Amino acid sequence: MQFCREKVKADCEELLGRFQQTDSVRFESFSAVWRSMKFSQVFYGTLGAEKKAFSREVLDTACSFFLPPFTFQIRVGGLYLLYSLYLSQSATPPQQIRLALKDWEHVKQFEHDAVEAQHLDTVYVLRQLLLHKAFHFTATPRLLSYQKKRKARRLPDCEAFVERPTRPQQLVSGDLLEELSNVQQHYERLKASICAAPDQPDPSLTLTRGDLVPRLQDAVLEFHRGQRLEAAPREDDDDESGGEGTSAQLECSRRAELLASIKSKSYGQAVEVSKSRRHRQVELGLASDSETAAASSSHRTHRMSLKARTNKNVQITGELKQETVKQTKLWCLTKLDSAPEDVPRKFPKFKW
Amino acid sequence: MTTTTQKWKNYISHEPHSMEEKMAASSSSTASNANIPEYEYIDVNTKPFHIGSFRNLWLERLKPCHYSYQEEDEEAFEADFAKEMGISMEIMGELKAICSIDSLSCHPADETPDPEVVPPDSTLKTLLQRKKRQDYKNNLKINRSGRHDFYADELDRLTVGRKPEEANDMIPEGEVILTINIYYPAIYDRFNYVRPHMTLMMTGSHSLADLRDAICCVSDLQVCGEFSSTPDMAPDFISKDHYKSAFFFFEGVFYNDMRFPECQDISMTTIEWAKSRNFPSYRQGKMEDVLLADLEVKVGFPYLYCHQGDCEHLVIITDVRLSHKNDCLDRKLYPLLTHKHRVITRKCSVCHVYIGRWLTTNDQFAPSNPCLFCDKCFRMLHYDVQGNKLGEFLAYPFVDPGAFN
Repeated sequence: MQFCREKVKADCEELLGRFQQTDSVRFESFSAVWRSMKFSQVFYGTLGAEKKAFSREVLDTACSFFLPPFTFQIRVGGLYLLYSLYLSQSATPPQQIRLALKDWEHVKQFEHDAVEAQHLDTVYVLRQLLLHKAFHFTATPRLLSYQKKRKARRLPDCEAFVERPTRPQQLVSGDLLEELSNVQQHYERLKASICAAPDQPDPSLTLTRGDLVPRLQDAVLEFHRGQRLEAAPREDDDDESGGEGTSAQLECSRRAELLASIKSKSYGQAVEVSKSRRHRQVELGLASDSETAAASSSHRTHRMSLKARTNKNVQITGELKQETVKQTKLWCLTKLDSAPEDVPRKFPKFKW
Repeated sequence: MTTTTQKWKNYISHEPHSMEEKMAASSSSTASNANIPEYEYIDVNTKPFHIGSFRNLWLERLKPCHYSYQEEDEEAFEADFAKEMGISMEIMGELKAICSIDSLSCHPADETPDPEVVPPDSTLKTLLQRKKRQDYKNNLKINRSGRHDFYADELDRLTVGRKPEEANDMIPEGEVILTINIYYPAIYDRFNYVRPHMTLMMTGSHSLADLRDAICCVSDLQVCGEFSSTPDMAPDFISKDHYKSAFFFFEGVFYNDMRFPECQDISMTTIEWAKSRNFPSYRQGKMEDVLLADLEVKVGFPYLYCHQGDCEHLVIITDVRLSHKNDCLDRKLYPLLTHKHRVITRKCSVCHVYIGRWLTTNDQFAPSNPCLFCDKCFRMLHYDVQGNKLGEFLAYPFVDPGAFN
């Protein structure tokens, strides 16, 4: 089922892209998109053993949208997609959704978020899947049989679905702040204990800021606020796909300045560029990398196969050639007299 | 002042100690996390992890109802859900209606489309591709959808969702199930792009010896010796009974089969060879003592099974997961064969009908050297009516690799 992986992924992305445009996480809007695309038909026309393999493929593909790094809305869409695919698949018994151990945390967190936000339908759908025992609790998201390719072709994730960078938030979590304030307290106490007069700390020992923790928290919150502010206009200019060029560039640099100012305020350090700009640069770099790689690989001498080399080097002419072209069937001792002469058959090859 | 410096010193001297403790704690926590399978190479294979601990990690995280085989009551679920989320039963009913499967149907209620036919007017890329492929297939003059496709999931179909007759034979809930591919020895060129293999499902409580017994390979069935003068005397002893040594190789450990007195440690040669060439040292174990749940392996990584001295099979664990109610739950049926590649059988060179049973060399009657014959043709061609040998040739009993089809 390797051959249809790309197409299945494209279809899922199309569906989720439309779902994203509805700006909602309701199941109604999802099912409306599903119906408008007639997505149930994706299972039509699979025959026999193919049913099972196709169900497996489509569920595996859909499952990847249910997990990070996608935004909450896409993950909800991914969950609905899994639910709908699971219920409408044609394989009997139904194929299960593979959930890897390392992803369970994400699912739990997702459920928690959905409960917190009172997304009843999301929680309901997830619980329904669990109720119907729709999950296989596995080690890996896909079956692995060491299918190594010389050129690994990995389908890129759809960028519009990915969560905006949240590294600072991840780095400065609640736990970290608590830990930090503990350390700070400990440190202050220690300083106090080694000073002669406990009430008047030695001014030469005040090396750190006392308000480090609240300041750090403020900085991150401010960053998050800034990020959200700029996220809104960005989505707008993503929609109008025509004039993305210069306006996006401007937008980008404006954002960069904003962020840089925030950061310089909070960390007292100069910061190179904004996250999003850096992201774009990386992308550019990758593209040029792959271009050069392609160019260099074309220079590499391609070694011909043994068959091709034999054909090239060994030249047979005349009658002998006729005989060598014919398949030699030495082991055929007997043959029916009425058997027709073997004519080499030609099979049309299928082009994907 | 002295007391404070003393305190300071104490603290300093304690500091590394507590740091050490911290390190130990963190390393033990990473050790337990090491059994959460992570990719070593993405979509190729994972890092090694311990299968038993992996199972325990899942069981810690899940509620028993998540992996139990029991059907749960829908109404009880709804009541619980409504209570937990603090909603009335009316809203619950509404929610159920919204999320029902009927909301997903893509055709008018009075039509029932044929799910076997690819809809011609679809916009889905998957369907466009499938349509194209089916059109091509229908174009072909010869229908080449062979038995391979037809029987592909035959073994699977037989056992899926089977319940045992006796409750004792039920696979316990939360048991770990491994799917293991055993590849045929790669002795033919054409095996490079098709990878003929058999797939076995086993539980974590099986030992490696169980796995060994479940693997069927023709080299276990061969009869050794030349019997051209006495074709009727060909013995029934097969190689399996003669040469019982075998080993598995997983993650630097050779697991030898030592169940019988005549078993030898055939991994010793390799180990000594490796030792003399400065390879990292390998360890040895006994396959009958090691349960699959005790193994620490990479999923998706090729390992080795070697028997009959040099018949080498790749072994890949493709999947490890908890058991599910749709699995075959009868413990007696495990190790469960779910897929077997069907090899083309080589036919007798006289009749082209029956599968070859005899292989002859230096045969003056044969068109090739070596040559295959079925039993009947072999005797008709090489012996007279009284059973006397005619001409010069050497004959060996032959078991076709397709004998298991």
